[in-house]
Amino acid sequence: MASGFFTDTTLCIGCKACEVACKQWNELPADGYAFTGDSYDNTGALGGTTWRHVAFIESTPDAPGAPPTMNRWVMMSDVCKHCTNAGCMEACPTGAIIRNEFDDVFIQPDVCNGCGYCVPSCPFGVVDLIDHQVIQPRFASDGRTDDNAVQTHGGVAGKCTLCYDRQKVGLVPACAKACPTDSIQFGDVDELKDRARKRVADLQSRGVDASLYGVDEKTSVGDLNAFFLLTGPPAAYNLPERPVLPSTRQPAGYVSAALAVTGLALIGLALFRRESA
Amino acid sequence: MRELRDLSPDASARGAAAGNGVLAPLPETYYDRPLLKKPHWEWEVITYLFLGGIMGGSGLLVAITDEKKDPELSRNLRYVTFALASTCPLILVKHLGRPERFLHMLRIFKWRSAMSMGVWGLIAFSAPVTAGAIGQAARDGLIPRWLRWLHPRPLTDPLTAVLGAFIGSYTGVLLSATALPLWGIGKRHIPMFSACSGIAGACAANSLILALTGGSEESIEKLERFETFAALAELALLRDFRRHAGSIGDPMFAGARGAKLTRHTEIGGIILPAVFSVLPIHGRWKTVVSSVLTLIGGYVLRETLIEAGKNSADDPRAASRQPE
Repeated sequence: MASGFFTDTTLCIGCKACEVACKQWNELPADGYAFTGDSYDNTGALGGTTWRHVAFIESTPDAPGAPPTMNRWVMMSDVCKHCTNAGCMEACPTGAIIRNEFDDVFIQPDVCNGCGYCVPSCPFGVVDLIDHQVIQPRFASDGRTDDNAVQTHGGVAGKCTLCYDRQKVGLVPACAKACPTDSIQFGDVDELKDRARKRVADLQSRGVDASLYGVDEKTSVGDLNAFFLLTGPPAAYNLPERPVLPSTRQPAGYVSAALAVTGLALIGLALFRRESA
Repeated sequence: MRELRDLSPDASARGAAAGNGVLAPLPETYYDRPLLKKPHWEWEVITYLFLGGIMGGSGLLVAITDEKKDPELSRNLRYVTFALASTCPLILVKHLGRPERFLHMLRIFKWRSAMSMGVWGLIAFSAPVTAGAIGQAARDGLIPRWLRWLHPRPLTDPLTAVLGAFIGSYTGVLLSATALPLWGIGKRHIPMFSACSGIAGACAANSLILALTGGSEESIEKLERFETFAALAELALLRDFRRHAGSIGDPMFAGARGAKLTRHTEIGGIILPAVFSVLPIHGRWKTVVSSVLTLIGGYVLRETLIEAGKNSADDPRAASRQPE
């Protein structure tokens, strides 16, 4: 059974209970105080120690003379997408990033060596590096706290675990548990997809421009275990319009490089071996 | 349940409920915030890309050059490749923060991760390279002569070349297999010009050492001619990449960084040494100057590629529709 999230943005009220619940359960440190001026979003983005992020899209007043529009204030709780074909997992050279028994993408912090290759390899900009000590105590496979864990350079990669530890004992992930409007729904991905498709049809019949993001889109990242119901173009929510699994570019790269090197090697052979004979 | 069309037929007729333009459209981006995360790679990775290119290129040259005709050049190549193969892993280990974590790379062999392939390629490469250095040292009388049997040339030299070609170009594949728009759109160009630049750098580094240690004019001249071929191929590929990338290439080719790339890599590192090589000037200092220029150009290329790649993560429009 694959477990995941269905995040229905039409139900989100921007309370940030998910952000708080995630920080509390996963013992993630605060991000500091920063004022962005971007509606109520002072969190900014997902990061190594921010595994839920509520985006606020607040429309500005109509330009003078422009036809009047209904103002909108849209919220979305963003999270790691737990892709079917995950860029971070393909990139990881240590095997620290695995697909666990719930079909979710999980970073084993005691295996991760902080190389940082997963960070630019995520097509959604989710993974980032964090200080090692932050999550080591909770997830070290042998349960001990390592003195070396107190180390501020490099650290390990961090992202949503889909509350692997809570799922192990049958609990709902912290964010979904805390969501007061059921904007974040947790469960079996196939069931969630059925529910989401019905919800989209219902909203569309009522005139709402609703669509699913991360379901049946035939991109190289595949379906997302954490998918979204949106009411606008994905880019407005800082989601890529067309995500691509970066590792699919490798064959073209290796072939091109082989051609270039072979060509030069032949020139070199002619130069170094034939001429002075 | 009552719906908007029942509550307000007017609003419904105006299209408010149909969403056909009366609702304010959502903006094109999310406050222009970056959509992607950038790598934390700093000078260690830039230096590795630079030295790794020279290392791979020197490995390739080991098999291309003719040891019988040019024993001096061959000796130089074997020692340079060995020195770099001993240094480069240390730089990579350093960038991990905690060195012992390098061992985590060795718990898995993964075709689909260019970084995993690179680590194993580096380890595989170091075997024939070490054998080559031992054989050379034995023939040079630095270590007991019988140790030269550790260097079966017909086996190790082709291996050095093939693995060297891989080491010199996989880093380009590694970069393009990320989500960063600049690197992604260069999936063919970056591995190719990186490989060419590595080979040119290998020629420059070895001719520099030969010039400083009194190597033969003929070896230096051949290296310089081969370097010109590789460097001009690199220049053509860089130019084609610029055209191919369009506005996604701006972080690399526009503004002050683009000017630096043109100055240090295209003009200083490629065109000037090529001009020097056809001018009727001779002498060791010409070689020294032109090699140093080529090497600076190679470093600036890697630095520009990494820093511009990081900047390209900041453009949400480029990151939204990702190159195939």
